[in-house]
Amino acid sequence: MDQYDKFVLDTAVKAGRILLACGAEINRVEETIQRIARHYGMDASSSFILSSGIFLTAENKKHEIYAQVKHIPLARVQLCKVTEVNKLSREIEEGRWTVEEAWVHLEEIEHMAGKRAHTRMAASGLGAACFCYVAGGSVWDSLAAFIAGFLLYVFIIWAEKKGRVKSKIVLNIIGSFLATFLSVILFKAGLGSTLSAIIVGSIMPLLPGVSFVTAIRELADSNYIAGAVRMLDTLLVTGGVAIGVGLVYILYHRLTGGIML
Amino acid sequence: MIITLLLQLAAASFGTIAFSIMFSVPRKYYPYCGLIGGGGWIICWCMVNFLNVSNVTGTFVATAFVALVSRISGTSLKCPAILFLMSGIFPLVPGVGIYWTVYSVIMGDMQEYSRYARQTLNLALAIVLGIIFVFEIPQKGIAAIAGIGRKKEKKS
Repeated sequence: MDQYDKFVLDTAVKAGRILLACGAEINRVEETIQRIARHYGMDASSSFILSSGIFLTAENKKHEIYAQVKHIPLARVQLCKVTEVNKLSREIEEGRWTVEEAWVHLEEIEHMAGKRAHTRMAASGLGAACFCYVAGGSVWDSLAAFIAGFLLYVFIIWAEKKGRVKSKIVLNIIGSFLATFLSVILFKAGLGSTLSAIIVGSIMPLLPGVSFVTAIRELADSNYIAGAVRMLDTLLVTGGVAIGVGLVYILYHRLTGGIML
Repeated sequence: MIITLLLQLAAASFGTIAFSIMFSVPRKYYPYCGLIGGGGWIICWCMVNFLNVSNVTGTFVATAFVALVSRISGTSLKCPAILFLMSGIFPLVPGVGIYWTVYSVIMGDMQEYSRYARQTLNLALAIVLGIIFVFEIPQKGIAAIAGIGRKKEKKS
């Protein structure tokens, strides 16, 4: 297989890899790979995509076969990268990019800086505060939820940084334990009046809304494997969060000798 | 009443924007995310409080609204609809239900537990149905609606 064909397919797979790692749906990944390959003249390619891997084979006119298998670990959702790749594939189809330029641009997108750590912490705090208010808290409750949500993400970013906590389940249990614990402390210190609203707000940043929505979309597109994987992810994360909240309650119950929160 | 409504709208909108920052949605889409999330929550809230509809029905209608508006804005702004859907759905996620389910398990109150667990599950199912219904509408229909929207904008 000559160099050009191989380069085209490498570019297509790279685009697919970025999309999949950043939280796009299977159909979009499949379509983007096909679109890029077809535009640069590789007609007979066929791909099989799971939520953790891309398998692609293609054949050119001389009946030479190209195959690539890529493993893609589930990572943090970064929708800005999805948007950029989506725009690029649209523009490729309009014929505005050569393969080399597209490769360089994909490289840029891949190394695009995400949001900075303290922006994410502040966002988590703000989200917790707002959803505390939505769940029926007062302004003071929201302030408590802001502090708990902010500190929760300080922990999560610390844990993510060097892969200190490997297992996602453990991370969620510890995270929700921490958020609930902080809420209880703030509540006992006199900040806020509705404990349930504070806790609901502060665990909100952990709840798996994204994998839930993706799971439903995959199932609706009849991608049952990807949908089942995401649904399992949703259930495990929710279970972890529930265990974390429960642990605080049980500990409090035991340590204070039977007083309920 | 109206002040409460506006405060709820503001809280849900800013919460949605906060989550879209965490998913690193490009900055120019923040207002859309906020309005979609806030709008969805207000629909659910008004239906439950003014029309005496059950929570589940309200969530279903609100989810359908969020998904539909996400798809329309995705088509007319030429970007993936998940950009808006992922954070827009967050106000409707049954966090309260999960909390009370855990709480009643710890309290050992099995009657309350089964009530809250069932309610949480129903809310989740309402979200599932809402999204699936809207995403089964063919792209042509969505493009037609988005096209109408754009023509109107040009006229005005």
